[in-house]
Amino acid sequence: MTSTSRLQARGLTRRFGATTALAGVDVDLADGELLAVMGPSGSGKSTLLHVLAGILPADAGTVTLEGRDVGGLDEKQRSLLRRRSYGFVFQFGQLLDELPAVENVALPAMLQGTSRKDAVAIAAQWLEALGLAGKEQRRPGELSGGEAQRVAVARALITGPAVVFADEPTGALDQQTGHEVMDVLTRTTRAAGASLVLVTHDEQVAAWCDRRIDMRDGRVVAGPPPTPAPPVAAPPAARFETGAPVDEADVATVAEPAEQMTR
Amino acid sequence: MNVVLALAPRLRSAGGQDSRVITLLAVTAFTVSTALTLSVVGGLIAFQQRAAHPVGDLQHDSGGFYVILAATALVLLVVPLLTLAGAAARLGVVRRDARLSTLRLLGATPAEVVMLTVVETAWQGLVGALAGVGLYVVLLPLWAMVPFQGTTFTPEELWIGAWALLAAVVVPLLAATSAAISMRRVVVTPLGVARRQGDRALSWVRLGALVLGAGAFAVGTQVMGMFGSLAVLVMLGLLALGFGAINLVGPWVLGLIGRASARRARNPAQLLAARRLASDPKGAWRVVGGLGLAGFVAGVLAMLPVLTASSGEQDEESRIILQDLVTGGMLTLGIAFLLAAVSAGIAQAAAVLDRRREFALARLAGFPVELFDEVRRREVLLPLLVVGAGSAATALLMLLPLFGTAALEAPQGLLLLIGSLTGGVLLVLGATETSRPLLRSVLADPVVRAD
Repeated sequence: MTSTSRLQARGLTRRFGATTALAGVDVDLADGELLAVMGPSGSGKSTLLHVLAGILPADAGTVTLEGRDVGGLDEKQRSLLRRRSYGFVFQFGQLLDELPAVENVALPAMLQGTSRKDAVAIAAQWLEALGLAGKEQRRPGELSGGEAQRVAVARALITGPAVVFADEPTGALDQQTGHEVMDVLTRTTRAAGASLVLVTHDEQVAAWCDRRIDMRDGRVVAGPPPTPAPPVAAPPAARFETGAPVDEADVATVAEPAEQMTR
Repeated sequence: MNVVLALAPRLRSAGGQDSRVITLLAVTAFTVSTALTLSVVGGLIAFQQRAAHPVGDLQHDSGGFYVILAATALVLLVVPLLTLAGAAARLGVVRRDARLSTLRLLGATPAEVVMLTVVETAWQGLVGALAGVGLYVVLLPLWAMVPFQGTTFTPEELWIGAWALLAAVVVPLLAATSAAISMRRVVVTPLGVARRQGDRALSWVRLGALVLGAGAFAVGTQVMGMFGSLAVLVMLGLLALGFGAINLVGPWVLGLIGRASARRARNPAQLLAARRLASDPKGAWRVVGGLGLAGFVAGVLAMLPVLTASSGEQDEESRIILQDLVTGGMLTLGIAFLLAAVSAGIAQAAAVLDRRREFALARLAGFPVELFDEVRRREVLLPLLVVGAGSAATALLMLLPLFGTAALEAPQGLLLLIGSLTGGVLLVLGATETSRPLLRSVLADPVVRAD
């Protein structure tokens, strides 16, 4: 066991009936590392994300988060773990329809006990930092697909998670919008000091990450060497070029986007 | 046969367990509303028969009065009965949204898509109507135990005969119409469903309608009171008007209350429940509207002990009539509560399924299951209290001109009112708990994929 791993998995096995979705998978995710998990449909990449994130228990194998075994937790404890230590960005539809954007972002913070006033204030800062100033009161149905995903990124990061899990976050977007979302996701995740596990079947999306692993039939197969730079230039959206780190050491376990994040 | 329509049986069986649950719920709703409608109509016809062929002084003297009372009960129950049938029809449409949008994208014409749903819903209506006739027959001995006019009815008196089979035509027709109306949302654009546009804000004009309705009733009863029995018919019409007005103003008031409580909410459950109420007050009204009517009936009922108390010495005939008024009122109230409870259960199930993706993804992100339970309870309880109390208060206000302040001086009436409202609220809350297993099964689905 290496002490530098933020998230580590050894020998993960998971079956669904007669189908083996994971057949002994090892994963190491370093502090602040962005990892892409690639593979064709049915290769087990989504199951891997679900097991790593404590959504599904593994049939065999261990998962440790910052040295602590989280594989044997029961459903309630896993739910708490996901809420406290992880952030999630799904393909679409994770925002609650009846809440305006700012309250969607504030909700996880409120669930941790932050007062509504504070949570909404911090959420508004996050939206501004992600280029959504002025759209705080829009409901998800009134946002474009890319805007909704940026709201989802803010929602995933507001609690200062150790790891962000993203399952095909650009799967419902056109290519240009997908790149904008990936830019925001990777930039803010880095700035927040979180690690990222990204499941995708899209090479260009995977290229935004530091490292990638490929899966076939429930196993990790040798992938191509890491590609540090995106093959497509980042979008010319100057407002995202903040680069300022997010202050992780704040009170109330709620991360605030740094004041100095400029446009 | 048209290709899309030929797909209908396949689509019906392809939905898996959710689809079966929904079909079961919808058919149950059609069954309950059919059985209760037939029961109430049966009662009305039985009173008509007694009035036409009176036995004894009471039936001879007051037969016509009883017919009017039975008609009043029918008027009061028509709206919740139709609401329940409408909710059942809508329930089927909700779950088919996604599949039907896909069909639209694949090139099915709007007319074909509408036809598909209408046919499926009419089919459910037919099954429900037939089961409802069966339930009506089963219930006959129960209704026959209730004493009216000093004697009970026989099941034969309450049986409406071959006319019952008319339900097998009327219910599917109503179900099909309601489904066709609900389908407008899906058909406008294939992408419209995904975006789920909200309804337009409800206008304050609705409040005006309530004021007008209540005012017309109050003035009407005063003026018409001088002209004898014809006035009773006018009063019936005005009663229906009053209830229609409540139905118009209810969603508007709920929207106001939702916005106000959203501003005041402090924790996630309060905030979510209030925002949901504010964003779909009409949906919330469908859940609690039935109780709105029950509260209204309870308000009217609260006046009966006043009548009993104020009439002083009574002959046997008056005593029976007063007793029957309370019995009939209670029966109407009970049926209204039952309808409200079934409507609430159905609407909650539809709401859970409608939002299954949001719910499941929120749970994946670690939102506690208890949060959804609390939101579910809150989003019913708040409108329930507002509507129950509001309707009862409206009824009291409308009837005060009839009875004067004596109404408020006799506490039995108010006690009856409070007691029945509490019972009704508990019944409806209990009914919403039936969606708990459905919510659990939606939340337990770990693999949520694009539909």
